[in-house]
Amino acid sequence: MSMKNLIPLLFLISFNLSAHPVIYKGGWSLSSSNMPDYSNNYVMYSLNPRLALGVEHWRLTKNEINNELGLLKLNHLLWRANGEDYQSNVYLHGGLGIEDQEFETKSTRSAWLLGAEADWETRKLYSSVKYLQFRDVYFGQMRLGFAPKEASFEELQTWFMVQAMIINNVNQELIITPMMRFFYHNSLWEIGSSTQGDWMINLMVHY
Amino acid sequence: MKKLLLLLSLALPLSSFAGVVSIKVSGMVCSMCAQGIQKKFSSERSIRTLKVDMEKKLVTIETHDGKNIGDETITKLITEAGYNVASIERK
Repeated sequence: MSMKNLIPLLFLISFNLSAHPVIYKGGWSLSSSNMPDYSNNYVMYSLNPRLALGVEHWRLTKNEINNELGLLKLNHLLWRANGEDYQSNVYLHGGLGIEDQEFETKSTRSAWLLGAEADWETRKLYSSVKYLQFRDVYFGQMRLGFAPKEASFEELQTWFMVQAMIINNVNQELIITPMMRFFYHNSLWEIGSSTQGDWMINLMVHY
Repeated sequence: MKKLLLLLSLALPLSSFAGVVSIKVSGMVCSMCAQGIQKKFSSERSIRTLKVDMEKKLVTIETHDGKNIGDETITKLITEAGYNVASIERK
């Protein structure tokens, strides 16, 4: 796999966990996403319920290739509908930073990211779609989820989810990842494995 | 009798300040997200207890004796948590 193809894959993994791009005013969101050869961590602070500012870091280590990316990130809640039994959102993503590549030679250059996502959820059903662009690379992602039990505020909430993704210049295959999502108080876990066999563990905490 | 009425008139307003407020919240479908409501109200000194009922989409707060919290403050805190207030009922 070429370096050109590894970078979008890095982004693909980093966006596996994107449940709450913006949270309550004054809230901190800490997240860590991990796969066998990748990690992604970010800290976001919500200035208000519509805008969150933070930093994000990626690391990829695979086949003697070391790639790191640091971004100053801005997430914006563009639209929200709070219904009696549902919530629906549209978010915008933006980021600027530095990309550091190390493969035979080391190089550093500027990096940017733009994206949008939308979700609709009830206490039993979850759906989301996402679009991201990085240089000439485009990502599409869709998630569907089902909660077998409507848990109370104090109980562990369990979700069965499936994620489908496609990247324009890595391959045209749809990557399917069944996973489980758990909420408990202010923390979230996601555990899954793609149909290609790579495990995935994601964690998120709100303060 | 007059003294008794006077004592009652002094005591009643104090007890009427402490109370239970039920807030119906729109969009409260995610328990992790609803933590934001708990977090926002935790900074309010007038609040003694807070309960979230995901089934009824209800946030119930109990204020300390002699303390009160206005509808405007409640609406502001719920809005800052990312939700909408559907109704506020005082008991």
